[in-house]
Amino acid sequence: MQVIENDLIKEKVYIKKLKNGLTMMCIPKKNTSKKYIIFATNYGSMDDRFIVPGEENETIVPDGVAHFLEHKLFEQENGRNSLDVLSSLGVNANAYTTNNHTAYLYECTNNFYEALDEFMNYVQSPYFTDENVEKEKGIINQEIGMYDDQPEWKVYLNALEALYVKNKVKIDPAGTVQTVSKINKEILYKCYNNFYKSSNMVIVVSGNFEAEEIFKEIEKRVIKEDSKEIAKKVFEEEPEEVNKKLIKKNMDVNIPIFMLGIKCKKINSINILDNSIEQIRKHIAVDIILDIILGSGSKLYNELYDEGLIFSEFSSMYEYARDYSHILIQSQSYEYEKVVDRMKKQFEEFKNTGFNDVDFNRSKRKNYGMYVREFEDVESIGNNFVDSFFKGINPFDFIEESKNIDKEYVEKILKEDFKEDSMILSIITNK
Amino acid sequence: MKDKCIDIKQGIKLHLVKTDLFKTNLSVLFITIPLDRTTITEDVIIPEILKSGSNTYKRQIEISNKLDEMYGATLEAGVDKTGKNLVIKLYIESIDDEFLPNGEENLKNSVDTLIDIAFNPYITDEGFNREYVNIEKERRRIVIESQKDDKDSYAYERIISIMYNDTEFGINKNGYLEDIEKINEKSLYNRYKDIIKDGKIDIFIAGNINEEYVKNLVLNNKYINNLNERDISKYLVDIEKYEKNRKEKVENIVEKMDVTQGKLVIGLDVLEKVKSDDRFKILIYNTILGDGANSKLFKNVREKASLAYTCKSNYVVQKSNIFIRAGIEIENYNKALEVINNELDNMRNGKFEDEDLENAKRYIYSGIDAIKEEQNTAIIFFYGEEVSLNKVTIEEYYEKIKNITREDIIEIAKRVNINTIYFLRNNN
Repeated sequence: MQVIENDLIKEKVYIKKLKNGLTMMCIPKKNTSKKYIIFATNYGSMDDRFIVPGEENETIVPDGVAHFLEHKLFEQENGRNSLDVLSSLGVNANAYTTNNHTAYLYECTNNFYEALDEFMNYVQSPYFTDENVEKEKGIINQEIGMYDDQPEWKVYLNALEALYVKNKVKIDPAGTVQTVSKINKEILYKCYNNFYKSSNMVIVVSGNFEAEEIFKEIEKRVIKEDSKEIAKKVFEEEPEEVNKKLIKKNMDVNIPIFMLGIKCKKINSINILDNSIEQIRKHIAVDIILDIILGSGSKLYNELYDEGLIFSEFSSMYEYARDYSHILIQSQSYEYEKVVDRMKKQFEEFKNTGFNDVDFNRSKRKNYGMYVREFEDVESIGNNFVDSFFKGINPFDFIEESKNIDKEYVEKILKEDFKEDSMILSIITNK
Repeated sequence: MKDKCIDIKQGIKLHLVKTDLFKTNLSVLFITIPLDRTTITEDVIIPEILKSGSNTYKRQIEISNKLDEMYGATLEAGVDKTGKNLVIKLYIESIDDEFLPNGEENLKNSVDTLIDIAFNPYITDEGFNREYVNIEKERRRIVIESQKDDKDSYAYERIISIMYNDTEFGINKNGYLEDIEKINEKSLYNRYKDIIKDGKIDIFIAGNINEEYVKNLVLNNKYINNLNERDISKYLVDIEKYEKNRKEKVENIVEKMDVTQGKLVIGLDVLEKVKSDDRFKILIYNTILGDGANSKLFKNVREKASLAYTCKSNYVVQKSNIFIRAGIEIENYNKALEVINNELDNMRNGKFEDEDLENAKRYIYSGIDAIKEEQNTAIIFFYGEEVSLNKVTIEEYYEKIKNITREDIIEIAKRVNINTIYFLRNNN
């Protein structure tokens, strides 16, 4: 068992890998009566092409399979729905699908071990029939319909569509009504059997636990498997250029919503995922850049606000995984062209002048606080460790690295990544 | 977590909520005032103006920089409706001193800054800063005009304003377009002074705090000392005074907009005079009906009929209302209504299992547990008790829920009656 500790935020993580390949992590929180567990597989909505061990041909599945599996796993052969069973124990159970992983979880104050039986059993025992798969399509189509009415979601998907030519990060994790209609139980079993293997999965627990003890309890409930071999995912080479510079869509919104996207320097060329500290340093650098140039304390934001060009803070994010990496910045404005223009000018200006020490240190502090907050409660801790696990990083390193990061490095990232050629615009407007 | 109350002056209270569960501490100010159609637009702009600058930090960027220096403390301001009252809320959340690298004093800074922003506003010439007022008036106009962008919450707000005819609980907490023009820096400042003079003031400080230290910090603050005593009895809520009569005819409202999915909202009344323990019974009734994965609506509308991805209900205790909400295919309107009506009837006829009742209780217990485990949840609960004349402690709350029987739920179910059915659909 491995133990990693952080003195500053006074947290410890215990890590153990079982013989069958399952990774377990425990972050004890002695004083709380809340307990959180999250069980995730390294398989998400973009993994639609793979080669099954022993097969020659590539398998291609319709968009939306990972999300469909997430819905369907709850249904059990004995006719029970595990979500009902868990809810009746008074625990809050849920699941979610991202681009690169699918996660099942629950949080509770009581009945943790009773719930653990059901929880580990249902994730490890799929039961799909033609009938229950058909029935789920109606529900998923309503979920797609719900998102279709959300302009923030559309502006995001369109930004990804503009950034990427081939990379499947751009698809809606739920798929579309058409692709969902093509999903059947054979496809679901094939994806499940190839990706829901212990060696492809991680379990994270946080709460009042003794690591040794909870790991034993988990191990007891792991169902034996015949093989550890996982299907090989197939990725298409993504060109460096963006797909489209602009995507505009009409929707019933009062003020146009815009998202400026930046396709970052291709990370597989520098193999960022093999260098976890480098990933974290880059992430911190991007956070600092976005804060100094566009954050609530920035000159530009305050000017735009005072001039009535924008009405709330920019929301921005940096998303990356094995084969994609981008920055997205969103806001609303009647005169979004003007705002975007001013943003771009500001990027150029900072590239020329660099950052001043006052701004830089202020932003460093702010980011430190943001990273500490990731450890606020058992739920954010659990999610943070799962996400980090699939990126191959240790979240404690954010705390340490954010103290040490230097200005020259951040300025280098600004110059490398904030390039006009790599920028796209996604707009939702009612005209 | 416990709420340690200290009376500062009549009508002004400090609440200390000590907990060592978190990395952050939370400093919160609630000012409770009457929900009033004539002042709502000003009332909702005021916290935004306070956030734009204080006498110490005159511009928004100065406040932002101050918060950033405090390792990225966050400031939030807004209003909420609670029955007959409006609550103006200011929050500062910051990293607890224990986790700062150089021994800085975030908690002291948070408390001081919160009080400064609320009670030491930036005033020139007997008014707020004119420029800030103009910016916030324009922002308000946009917020009001943008309400339709989020169709789900629009549909929900719409049915409430229809049912309450734009009075009291039906008042739009975003304010009204037609009121914005007449607001200026002087009228707004006058309104602010009234609020500070008459409103019920509650300050909550939560986190790993030294109670004596925080108490002195607040009690010795000159802006707090300058506040006057006030009578706050009119803000206290007595749900037992409440009585509802059966509506002759169910109101059916259909509105059209550019939507893919239809948004169905059903407003239910719980009829007759509200008795002391009714709220616990209604809470359980609502949980069985539509709160969570075990609920009748989730199982029947979603899992069985595949009509919706979400179908749930929520209980508004101060008004004895339950609202059912579902996103459905437009053509499934009648089908969905039929399934929902059927579930309401089943509840009236006692067609639910003892297990449903037990499940609902467990679900509620875990919600009560959360009060002890989440700073903001605890503060909201303590505040609710603070303004209620029907107070319970957390322990009594468990006890009340435990004692409720199947017959209690059927009795409530028979009093539940549809008031209004609202449907937001596409243009075709």
